[in-house]
Amino acid sequence: MSNTTSAKATTQSLRWRLGPLWSLVSLLLIVVAATMVTTMFGKSLQVQAQYALVNLVIVVALQLFIGTSGVLSFGHVAFVAMGAWTVGLLTIDPTLKKNLLPDLFPFLMDAQAQWVLAVLIGGLVGGLLALIVAPVLMRLNGLQAGIATFALLGVVNVVLTYWSSIGPRSGQSMVGIPEVLDLKLTMLFALGSIIVAWLFQRTRPSRLLRAAREDGIAAAASGINIVTQRVIVFTVSGVIAGVAGGLFALTNRVVQASQLFVEMTFITLAMLVLGGTLSLSGAVIGTLVFSAIDVMLSNLQSGIDIFGLSLSIPQGTRPIILGLILVLMLMFKATGLTGGREFVWPFRTVRPLPGNPPTNE
Amino acid sequence: MNQFIQSLVDAISAGAVLGLAALAIGLVFGVIRLANFATGEIITAAAYSLILTWHLGWYVSIPISILVAVGISLLMELAVFSRMRKAGPATLLIASFGLSFLLQRVYELIFGNNVRTAPVASELAQSVEVGGIRIQMLSVTTIVLTAVLLIALQLFLTKTSLGLQLKAAAADFRTARLVGIPAGRVIGLSFALSGILAAAVAFVLTVQSGAVGPDFGVRITILALVGAVIGGIDKISGSLAGGFVVGFATSMLAAWLPEGMTNFKDAFVFVLVIAVLLFKPSGLLIKGRGVVRT
Repeated sequence: MSNTTSAKATTQSLRWRLGPLWSLVSLLLIVVAATMVTTMFGKSLQVQAQYALVNLVIVVALQLFIGTSGVLSFGHVAFVAMGAWTVGLLTIDPTLKKNLLPDLFPFLMDAQAQWVLAVLIGGLVGGLLALIVAPVLMRLNGLQAGIATFALLGVVNVVLTYWSSIGPRSGQSMVGIPEVLDLKLTMLFALGSIIVAWLFQRTRPSRLLRAAREDGIAAAASGINIVTQRVIVFTVSGVIAGVAGGLFALTNRVVQASQLFVEMTFITLAMLVLGGTLSLSGAVIGTLVFSAIDVMLSNLQSGIDIFGLSLSIPQGTRPIILGLILVLMLMFKATGLTGGREFVWPFRTVRPLPGNPPTNE
Repeated sequence: MNQFIQSLVDAISAGAVLGLAALAIGLVFGVIRLANFATGEIITAAAYSLILTWHLGWYVSIPISILVAVGISLLMELAVFSRMRKAGPATLLIASFGLSFLLQRVYELIFGNNVRTAPVASELAQSVEVGGIRIQMLSVTTIVLTAVLLIALQLFLTKTSLGLQLKAAAADFRTARLVGIPAGRVIGLSFALSGILAAAVAFVLTVQSGAVGPDFGVRITILALVGAVIGGIDKISGSLAGGFVVGFATSMLAAWLPEGMTNFKDAFVFVLVIAVLLFKPSGLLIKGRGVVRT
């Protein structure tokens, strides 16, 4: 009798453990499928898909922090910028680098790395910056956190724009980044980031932080040091954002501080908000849907033919529609397309991820 | 010494402009907890109006710019924010961020990506010499304009019934409603005043630069928002003071940082901001910590 109970308990606990696995597998399948679809079309779509996947990694990083902590961050593009800068410095051909970036520190002038390694180092640099600023920034909540993280982005942007010892002279860009990254490799990185984020959301710091997101006072009363948990999650998310920056550098092959500022922050936040900040599936669905609309609009802007009928929308309407999507989403369904839920195995009910209601912080 | 006084006057004027911009943000925030990033696009709209209609004469151009600013401000409230009353400050901030991006692209579509130029009040762009000190007319005008606006606002807020209602709502919106202050009217009023202040900011900036592009209002809004938060966005005087501090500091840093460092002035300001937020998260002028520190 006790035997069957324990066997039953084991299957149940197995189901509890494996059930949520579907929330990971489904996302991976969606990303792979979406990428495969784009390979059936022309080269230009593949390029757009590659940018979308880079954005996906940024949005995953954003979601990991914002979704888990409930704290707003406008600063993640700072880590993206660090990653992009690192990869640029490490992969540009040495002779070109001497001509292009003459004022570099000697050690940066000599530094060189194979691109995969460079991307990983980029992640570490992003994570390092996050770790350094986190003990300060993570004490803040709500609007103050938003402003402080934005201030971080501002500092990083100014420093990268003007400090020629670590990059190009003011306002210029780093060019000559090698063409090594293709769509499939980018997809692997994107899948990797999703897996890392998914696994990390199951660890103790993430769970504690989700508890604190739902009720900060109760969590603090239960002995959770919220700042410490936030620092951990912020740093991990900074590493992912740094990797994304490296991927951006290798995809765009030109890096300029002005590209890594307010507009990128806006676009990635819009993707996350569209999908829903509170779930990893929100990050994935938001990015894919937003990118798909973006691609359609840019094609419409250049005009397409349907049954001999040429359809087009005026130049410049694309970003307007994208902005509208964000505003309308926030107005009418602030929890996003996924409503903060993860995908559940469609055939048998499993326990959903804890914590669904949106925080109004 | 003379140089110091000159830079001081310039810094006070820069602080005054940012103070007005921060006040435009703080007035609305006090009432509906919206830190409106799109205030910059109200400023931009007023600036376009000034530049495009200046040839008709200032007595036409300035009223038009004020009307446009107030109109756009009210339109934002009616079309977007009035439908988001239940959202928290962070969600509202993101929404206004999106609206800002959206309006910039609309301006780009209408007016093109290039800057539009016109010599708006070019008489003010000169400088005069007073006792061996060269003083920019614009700086003096700005300081006077700000003083006049602040006095008018103060009189309005303390001497008129409508103003008192607004003041009460900004202090505690829920209680204000409980005692029968009409919410919609007060909110509309705060947006309208915010538009007027934005128009004043646009006037000063337009005289200064004589040119306007789609992202004209972005930089000042970022600094004003930051200023409002470090001053204490919950209080009208807090926003004003915070904006002033940020503008003053930026201008002083630009004047006195050693050659080669001036480019980094914004970075210093942002570091200052983070430091202030750390020690006084609720703002310089707010007593106590104010926010729950967790």
